[in-house]
Amino acid sequence: MGRKLLLDKVHVDGIRSYDVYRREGGYRSVEKALKSMNPDAVTDEVKKSGLRGRGGAGFPTGMKWSFLAKPAGVPRYLVCNADESEPGTFKDRYLMEFIPHLLIEGMIVSSFALGSNLSYIYIRGEYAWIIDILEQAIAEAKQHGFLGKNILGSGFDCEIYVHRGAGAYICGEETALLESLEGKRGNPRIKPPFPAVKGLWDCPTVVNNVETLAAVVPIINEGAEEYAKIGIGKSTGTKLMSACGNINKPGVYEIDMTIPVEEFIYSDEYCGGIPNKKRLKACIPGGSSVPILPANLLLTTAKGEKRLMNYESLSDGGFATGSMMGSGGFIVLDEDQCVVKHTYTLARFYRHESCGQCSPCREGTGWMEKILLNIDNGKGRISDIDLLWDIQRKIEGNTICPLGDAAAWPVAAAIRHFRDEFEWHVLNPGECLKSNYGLAHYADEIHMPLIA
Amino acid sequence: MIQFNDKKLGEVAEIVNRYPQGKQKSALLPILHLAQEEFGGWLDVPVMDYVATLLRIEPIEVYEVASFYSMYNLKPVGKYMFEVCQTGPCMINGSDSIINYIKEKLDIGVGETTADGMFTLKTVECLGACGYAPMMQLGKNYREHLTKEKVDAIIEECRANAIKNN
Repeated sequence: MGRKLLLDKVHVDGIRSYDVYRREGGYRSVEKALKSMNPDAVTDEVKKSGLRGRGGAGFPTGMKWSFLAKPAGVPRYLVCNADESEPGTFKDRYLMEFIPHLLIEGMIVSSFALGSNLSYIYIRGEYAWIIDILEQAIAEAKQHGFLGKNILGSGFDCEIYVHRGAGAYICGEETALLESLEGKRGNPRIKPPFPAVKGLWDCPTVVNNVETLAAVVPIINEGAEEYAKIGIGKSTGTKLMSACGNINKPGVYEIDMTIPVEEFIYSDEYCGGIPNKKRLKACIPGGSSVPILPANLLLTTAKGEKRLMNYESLSDGGFATGSMMGSGGFIVLDEDQCVVKHTYTLARFYRHESCGQCSPCREGTGWMEKILLNIDNGKGRISDIDLLWDIQRKIEGNTICPLGDAAAWPVAAAIRHFRDEFEWHVLNPGECLKSNYGLAHYADEIHMPLIA
Repeated sequence: MIQFNDKKLGEVAEIVNRYPQGKQKSALLPILHLAQEEFGGWLDVPVMDYVATLLRIEPIEVYEVASFYSMYNLKPVGKYMFEVCQTGPCMINGSDSIINYIKEKLDIGVGETTADGMFTLKTVECLGACGYAPMMQLGKNYREHLTKEKVDAIIEECRANAIKNN
């Protein structure tokens, strides 16, 4: 069983309260950082730990911190991105709901490192009950001297506030989030300038995901070297995975990134296999934006190696035969699921969530949704499949923010790997309304040509 | 006349104080939530104008925000709004049949409100409860692992609460 750094105490009775959290060793990292380290030393530890952003992009956190501009007399801000909205992803919710002080503790240490005296948690509006939980945790931390003026006599002041969003996936994009935090529509900004130079109210700002900030706690407590020993290659530490779809045990799992995908799906410690002895057809391993893979390519890379649950292995083979770790939203489809229909729901999602700023995304997402609905309803033509391919290709890379790519990739991957299922829908317009294409050949062993 | 009571005005002041001097516009989203709760579950134009006055911004700055975010209702809704998620992971777990069941049971379509003004059915995109699908948002909370029986119980619960609160 892998080591847990974030969720090891989540089942302790009353861990949501300050007293129990503190008794279990909580807020030690704040004491260590503020009493015995300077801000740059904290940033160095995070750099050395190899921690990568857990929101989806996987950018090295310490490096992101080191980009923060520090002009004299200008405030700097830390903003926690708790706008979790990527379909398949519900890990941050779990962390905030059940062990809220871990996020607050991580934010205090991170605010100290970055010199932010005023930090915000931007939370999606629908997580309304979690706001109460976080505000309670903040009040308790403040009451015990971990927030407010001159924390632990260090001379460092810090306040944290929760800012409630109002239903917009796009606000998970960091510049849209900042616009929203300024009381505007969530339209992403053109970069550069990057938030590290010009962010919230034009001041230097770092935006980090919930899980990323929580991971700062074990990094400071145990030291970067210890943290980096867990995992493999550039996938250090632990990762929260939220697993859903056709599995026996949906939920949030903290994994060390050395386990095989097959073990994650079938072991009782994690997903517990697929219900009713059904066979695995496909999986989206890192949230709805990342490429869907058929069972055979999911479990084994094109080179024939067992695929592991980490950044490098999940993306092994590029988009041709691989996928991505993304946000860790792991969606499993069994042999009874229809890839066309599933892709249609995702296309509808992206059309709904496009902010409308860039025409390729605003128009293209709507076209893809309509075409996919037609194909799903047996009203498609073979040329529609090529048209879909063409549209997604023209969205990708042609928008201000990555929502365009996020909308294009699921459609591209579905056609790349499941084209015959799309064709079957077109050629069997009556049949596709009553039954589905089933498992077909998607779990067959792959024989790749050997390259001399 | 649209006006928050003193207690709510205190909350408004507290929210505005979370942001630096002169950045009161940042309080817009939280205050629109407050206004929607307080003034009948939706944002009528006079309500939005009032929020603009409170924050010393132009009314258009409020309209453009209220019309962007899906949680703000720009027309009246029922006392209880069933917001059922229909994105991929919920679809796999049967959200379509839950939506159809609610339609039949309440005799309304998606986006419609029952004649007695009690229930509105809305379909929404991913609410971050994929592991507990199918699900809906009801007020401040999520109702998860929905079944037809659970939907029946939720409808009864809402009706009972409405009677109790009257």
